[in-house]
Amino acid sequence: MTSCGTDEEIRRIVTEYSTMLLRLACTRLPSTADAEDAVQETFLKLLSSRPAFRDAGHERAWLIRTTLHRASDIRRKAEQRNLPLDAALEQAAPEPERELLSAVQSLPEQYSAVLHLHYYEGYSMKEIGKLLGLPAATVGTRLARGRERLRQMLKEEA
Amino acid sequence: MDRDDYRKAFDTLSFSADFEERTQDLLRRRARTQDKERKSMKLKFFRKPAVFAAAAALLVVSVSAAALLLRPDQVAQHHNQPVLAQAFESGNAIAVNQTVNTGDFSVQLTGLVSGEGLTDWSQDVDTSHTYAVVALSRLDGTPIEQQSFDFIRYPLTPLVAGYSPSAVNNWTLGSFASGFSQDGVYYYLLDTQDLNMFAHRTVYLAFYEGGAPSREIFSVNPEDGSISFAEGYEGPQALFTLPLDPSKADPAAADAFVESTGLNCDYNAPAEDLDAAVPEGDNGSVVFWE
Repeated sequence: MTSCGTDEEIRRIVTEYSTMLLRLACTRLPSTADAEDAVQETFLKLLSSRPAFRDAGHERAWLIRTTLHRASDIRRKAEQRNLPLDAALEQAAPEPERELLSAVQSLPEQYSAVLHLHYYEGYSMKEIGKLLGLPAATVGTRLARGRERLRQMLKEEA
Repeated sequence: MDRDDYRKAFDTLSFSADFEERTQDLLRRRARTQDKERKSMKLKFFRKPAVFAAAAALLVVSVSAAALLLRPDQVAQHHNQPVLAQAFESGNAIAVNQTVNTGDFSVQLTGLVSGEGLTDWSQDVDTSHTYAVVALSRLDGTPIEQQSFDFIRYPLTPLVAGYSPSAVNNWTLGSFASGFSQDGVYYYLLDTQDLNMFAHRTVYLAFYEGGAPSREIFSVNPEDGSISFAEGYEGPQALFTLPLDPSKADPAAADAFVESTGLNCDYNAPAEDLDAAVPEGDNGSVVFWE
């Protein structure tokens, strides 16, 4: 991979990954503004650490993991300070979508990430395993458990 | 509820229209600043050798490879993390200098420090992280080149005695390593959630070849929970014991963390057919509920 500090590389990285990473961050953050912060800081981290990627898949995996990590940091920070995270995105969505978004954000983090990568991004269990550094069997278990928890939460809300 | 509902919910999210433009501007500005800082640093490094060049040329010295390694603070500086560099030089850093020769490699743990706000990555976050520096070189002296070295194939992961390697590892801890090569030596800088909460137990840092920690790579002694490399694992391996301060341990936080992963099952129990827990569609995809 080429240096991530050139204008051309910056444009490519931001254009190619922003939307996917923003949605992924929203599995842990109920505010789109916080999600934007998480993704922006992920790109900054990429620029400052300049990891050597062996291919595009490796680059994608790094960005996904780092975004999730950063989103968790922001969430923990708010929880430790007892600050409510801005739930602007939930207010903007219609009722059924709002409930689903809220339920996904309430899931334990290890479940929401694999659910999202599978159900939104369409990755297979094997692909998610490679992206997150997990055995495919573990991804399968998390999908099953996450899906069940999500189902229970939505049933309770209904 | 199906996949379409899920997608529809996330498609309702709307982000700032100028997010990409703002982000590109920010990154360009940061890249320019970094370039300036690098040039400035290079000048500083070159001045000192010029002063001492004549004297040094008169000396014929034999130096070990270890003496040529970058110090942990220099590794942090390479990543443009001056606060972390200072932390590695401060009294808060833990002095470590452990070396393991394994397979073709010499693996050396050279630095360990924990704290809040030590990198610009986490300065505005009041969560503490642990940082470790590991230097990797080839025993036969062949240089490790940045472009050809597949560092993802050789991960570093924290492990904790008494907890399953599936529950406490680089993924569950949100760790990531950055690396670079200089003078044939590859330097890892590991950034992970603070490990001090586990300091009441033996905390390891493992270097190995492979993917996520599994029973093929690590084994757990059922008697005392200690972790070692699995008998059949033949790849390069180094298991450093981190000299953390037990007074900084937080057993309740450690247990809560491990519980939150949902993965601290009996590591030595026969593997269940985990894939069977998820119904597969015809195309191998997981079936969402109806």
